Amino acid sequence: MAKITGKCWVASDYVMAYDIIIQRFWTSPIDKAENAKWVMAGVAEEFNRENGFVEGGFTFIVAAHNFAGGGKSIEHVVAGLMGAGIQAVFANSFSRLQFRNAINYGLPFITCRDLAKGCQTGDELEWDTESGTVLNLRTGEAFHSVPVAPFVADVAAEGGLMNFIRNKIADGSIHELH
Amino acid sequence: MIPMTITEKIMALNSGRDKVVPGQLVWVDVHSIMTMDYLGEQCFKQFRSLGVNEVFDKERVICVSDHLVPPPNEQFATMLNRWRQIVKEHEIAYFYDLGRQGIAHQIMVEQGHVLPGKVSIGTDSHANTYGAVGAVGNAIGVTDAAVAMATGKCWFRVPESVKFVIKGTWQPYVMAKDLSLHIMGMMHWNGHLIYKTLEFTGEAIEALDMAGRMTLCNMTVDLGAKNGIVAPDAVTQAYLSGVAKGDWEMIASDPDAHYDAVYEVDVTNVGPTVALPDKLDDTVPVEKVVGRKFNKAFVGTCTNGRVEDFAVMAEILEGKQIHRDVNMIVVPASQAVYLEALKRGYLQTLVEAGAAIDTPSCAACAGIHTGVAGDGDIVLSAGNRNMKGRMGSKNAQIYLTSPAVVAASAIRGEITDPRETGTY
Ligand code: SF4
Repeated sequence: MAKITGKCWVASDYVMAYDIIIQRFWTSPIDKAENAKWVMAGVAEEFNRENGFVEGGFTFIVAAHNFAGGGKSIEHVVAGLMGAGIQAVFANSFSRLQFRNAINYGLPFITCRDLAKGCQTGDELEWDTESGTVLNLRTGEAFHSVPVAPFVADVAAEGGLMNFIRNKIADGSIHELH
Repeated sequence: MIPMTITEKIMALNSGRDKVVPGQLVWVDVHSIMTMDYLGEQCFKQFRSLGVNEVFDKERVICVSDHLVPPPNEQFATMLNRWRQIVKEHEIAYFYDLGRQGIAHQIMVEQGHVLPGKVSIGTDSHANTYGAVGAVGNAIGVTDAAVAMATGKCWFRVPESVKFVIKGTWQPYVMAKDLSLHIMGMMHWNGHLIYKTLEFTGEAIEALDMAGRMTLCNMTVDLGAKNGIVAPDAVTQAYLSGVAKGDWEMIASDPDAHYDAVYEVDVTNVGPTVALPDKLDDTVPVEKVVGRKFNKAFVGTCTNGRVEDFAVMAEILEGKQIHRDVNMIVVPASQAVYLEALKRGYLQTLVEAGAAIDTPSCAACAGIHTGVAGDGDIVLSAGNRNMKGRMGSKNAQIYLTSPAVVAASAIRGEITDPRETGTY
């Protein structure tokens, strides 16, 4: 699976975690499909309805600074984005809490400095997961993102940290975590 | 040996390495893991789904009831019942439930569950508070908690360090909170601090008590940082003696360690500071907003619900009356804080002045219960967050400031400089 192609949604700076999942859902169960229904409800008026964001059919989010920041650690954020079909988020910087959650769930959060400047919402992008190159198919412009770290790739390949750990418990290599 | 910062040393020490470098991903041994009422059940469920039945150490998985207690409705009461059941099933040694409760971060520090030179994690964003004793304290999600409960380990990206050298002398009625808000205003959300460790050093930090250090480290998460830390010293040793659950190491940064940036603040020039509604980094010296009216006052939370905070308030409110247009709610951060503030008479002074005291919990801080904000409310709060809707209604405004400013302002019903109330 070296290349992933799909439509992107371009976000502004400081898309906050507590706007991606609004307060009403902070105590609801973590469930990709359920969390996706109202994901992004607080970010833009057009997403503030059931399946508002999901219906956009986006594969990528292209954000700028401090994506999913604001200090909320709830995992509904990443679960909701995955449930909505998002396969990678590119941004200048991420909040650390959600960066962790994303790695643990196997949703790549990728640092890519200038992509936001060269994309509009709805553009088709092609992401080469190995080289890190992101191609905007509308403009033909290519961008370079930070390649995914080996540990992160391993976790994603096993379907998230839980499976990664389960497999290590099963094969007895859990004590070798270093 | 390459020189390292205190945070790098702690990460190296607890991952069995001689050195680590910023950006490196490492598995670290955690000393303690905290989880609480509204996420705890999910943590244990995830943990069980790993196929493990017993937590790695029953004395080092700490469970607390803080966000939902006492339960304001049936839904939370039922959630709490499930929470109690699951904690019991796992034979957790330290369960701070209603009656012994407190805000988790306060409990972790005051009960000695976090120690210098160790790494502790919690399923709540203000786990940064643990840096006050010279620990690496970090917030993690349910998945990380589940893995750590099973293995005693958590992965980390070693952060870059930024040093804040705090010089000068604290002026009367200027608190650690004012310094936090000052730094917030100075750095803005410009991204310089995102994912960084903030190391606080200098004579003004050495002069700070543990309550002040907790406030300062607590709010580093609101600056977007990974964690905040104060190297352990005599203040730390005195605080931990008799409460520490385990041995610890006094660790300090090497003098020639690398920092991404070094900032200097002279605290002599920092006065009482206020963050304007909705934006944490929109901070001004109190003089700029003196005279603004408000109708609710709130002091409590993991940022400012400690004995030292109530001492300052009691001093200001002694023999005074809170303005009739202001409702003030005061919530001690833990039962231990509550009891101590009672014994010292601070709570009596506050009640006599017309404040309402509530049982330790997060209270209105997260807009869940106990004094939530309604439409049109203007709240003067000593908490840590003021975005729209944080304490309840989206149509309420929240100013953030220190307990001293809240106390002084409550007398007049308008924002007041605490350095002036003596003459009022
Ligand atoms: S007091 Fe407020 S900030 Fe602190 S843990 Fe509770 S809800 Fe979070």
